Amino acid sequence: MEGLELIKKAFSLETVERVPWVPFVGVHGGFLTDTDAAFCLKSAEELVRGISKAVEEYHPDGIPVVFDLQVEAEALGCELKWSESGPPAVVSHPLADGIKLTDLKIPGPAEGRVAVCLEATKVLREKYPELAIYGLITGPFTLALHLMGTDIFMKLFEQPGEVHDVMDFCTRVGLEMAGYYADSGADVIAVADPMTSQIDWLTFETFVAPYVTRIFDSVRKRGRLSSFFVCGHAQQNIEAMCDCRPDNVSIDENIPLDFVKDIALDKGISFGGNLKLTVTLLMGTPDDCREHALECLDLGGQKGFILAPGCDLPRETPPENIKAVTELLHDPYLQDVVRTLERKESALEVFNMKDYGQAEKVVVDVITLDSESCAPCQYMVEAVKRIAPYFEGVVEWREHAIKKMEAVSFMSSLMVKNIPTICIDGKIAFVSKIPPERELVAAIQKRINEKLKLKIKSKRSALILLGEQENQCIELKERVERALTELGKEVDVQVLTGNDKLASFGVVQAPAVVSVSYKLKSEGSVPSTEVIKEWLKEL
Amino acid sequence: MSELLSRIAECIEFGKINKVAPYPPNMKGQDGADELTRRALDEGISAQRILTEGLMPGMEKVGIKFRENKVFVPQVLMSAKAMSTAMVHLKPFFLSGEVKEKGTFIIGTVEGDLHDIGKNLVAMMVEGNGWKVVDLGTDVKADQFVAALKEHQPAYVGLSALLTTTMVNMEKITKALKEAVPGAVVAVGGAPVTDSFRQKIGADIYSSDPQGLVEYLNSQLV
Repeated sequence: MEGLELIKKAFSLETVERVPWVPFVGVHGGFLTDTDAAFCLKSAEELVRGISKAVEEYHPDGIPVVFDLQVEAEALGCELKWSESGPPAVVSHPLADGIKLTDLKIPGPAEGRVAVCLEATKVLREKYPELAIYGLITGPFTLALHLMGTDIFMKLFEQPGEVHDVMDFCTRVGLEMAGYYADSGADVIAVADPMTSQIDWLTFETFVAPYVTRIFDSVRKRGRLSSFFVCGHAQQNIEAMCDCRPDNVSIDENIPLDFVKDIALDKGISFGGNLKLTVTLLMGTPDDCREHALECLDLGGQKGFILAPGCDLPRETPPENIKAVTELLHDPYLQDVVRTLERKESALEVFNMKDYGQAEKVVVDVITLDSESCAPCQYMVEAVKRIAPYFEGVVEWREHAIKKMEAVSFMSSLMVKNIPTICIDGKIAFVSKIPPERELVAAIQKRINEKLKLKIKSKRSALILLGEQENQCIELKERVERALTELGKEVDVQVLTGNDKLASFGVVQAPAVVSVSYKLKSEGSVPSTEVIKEWLKEL
Repeated sequence: MSELLSRIAECIEFGKINKVAPYPPNMKGQDGADELTRRALDEGISAQRILTEGLMPGMEKVGIKFRENKVFVPQVLMSAKAMSTAMVHLKPFFLSGEVKEKGTFIIGTVEGDLHDIGKNLVAMMVEGNGWKVVDLGTDVKADQFVAALKEHQPAYVGLSALLTTTMVNMEKITKALKEAVPGAVVAVGGAPVTDSFRQKIGADIYSSDPQGLVEYLNSQLV
């Protein structure tokens, strides 16, 4: 299940198999299509191009058509300053500049950029019938701030009546906008009211709650879903936001996800968020993003949670970072790997593996998540198991399931990054893909041959002949030398005499022969205890 | 502390501007920061004492309440408005040098960002704590920050941003400041900014609230 159907399921608090994913693409869509933000936000065609590209690349279940909280403000006469890299900013506030509230007219669907947004919505609706299309409208408090400027904050106390009038007007704008979006095919109406993070609970209850509630009720009457977006430190208002009867609340990294989860589920609505926009998505690596997305998934759980960035993506967010999130979301097995690694990495001990694999036998290590619960791991282990009998006594194989701490250390010591992986004598041989039997056998055989060569080169042996006196060993020595000549072997022969020598080898009755084989094990380095233990096992 | 000074502190803390101001409702009809500051000066209390024993303690209380989420932007703005009303009376003493400032703090919202609520809050809190504040406004580019720092040396610099899209400009500006003035101390703040972001861009101090910055600046005086 995916797309709108999945979103609906999450919104109605049914347990889902996979958490739905709603990347707030915004002006990042223009980045994907190499279009600057200002140009993108003014053209339905460009908006569609950007969002289409994002749909293709990020496989979302839902997506907002436009993420620009200045659309209504502009239509109401606020001057904008456009930027190439982000949404525009409001630079003038008509109600602070002497324009009367009664002079402002609610924008119609054919006006300016309102028309652009609605046109893009219609096209995307048609193009992606399965996708949950989000129509984003400016929340009444944020719109009121655009119209009044920061005076609004002081007027909350000094002229509360005026603020109420403006809020009522902005709510009527919101109601109309919600209607336009619904008529254009949007499934979810998102009311984004970030400025509410700046006010206390009482002010929210007095000046915001009664107004936004009207919008959510109207959306419900139209048979659409609704979401209440806020960003910033809005912790004090989350409960009041839920009481405004949206179907969902969505927050950013300033509020802990579990905090919102508890309140939202308690109030019987769904919740979403809160991937870190800058430190992780914009500036992090794909690995960071996977790890962080997993954290969100684990916190959010499979009931009522929508995975989304905290707010609209910074324009230049590396697409590979967002793809990493998508990939993780769709791959429970990858989630397991990331989860396990994350847990273990902090307490990691790294072995010195420089001399690993110098033992007599060839060692085949299979690094797995756990061959019992992870299918690819299981197949890889079976592949090794199958060929092991061919090399009976010559090859030793082991599985390292990284659910155990030592295995994680071992894995990073061998620089293994993917799971499952086969290492032969400490060298990465097969990554992720299960090798065909023939390839695996060939790889092991190759290593056996290498070792054999090394063995022939490095082996030196000696025979020690022991006697009470030298004459006890004369005949013995002659026979040894003849044997060496016949075999063509180079072995040092040493004669040791005296009772103390006999005793030191534990010999009771002379003459005696002790064979010694010397083998170069390491050179120019101090091998780790782990490695020395491997050698000792051969003795 | 004289009773008058503690009443001034209270006016600042609760945002009581003047007698006619309706806010806060429980102080209706009482004298505000405006009248009380005037009276204190008339009674011969020094401007320096009014600042350090009246305005600063009041502002500090607001700063702490803001940090603890007990008050929010609207209340802080009311306090700031009360403070600036009082400051009008004290300005001449600053200019004459009778009141000593603790140091200079340069602040601006970074290039591309036009939001000034947070920046203004910080400026007011820092000023209310006895620092000279040079406010460069919004959409301030790296070279403007550098020029201001060179002009007002020694000074601390504060960068503000509200948008995730503009906060990235902080890195460029921090670099430019550090290159132009070795040892420059750069503070960053704003809704999307975090301490790990500060570390990434090599700035010196981050605080999630204005009071934290004030405390940092004051700690540098010793």
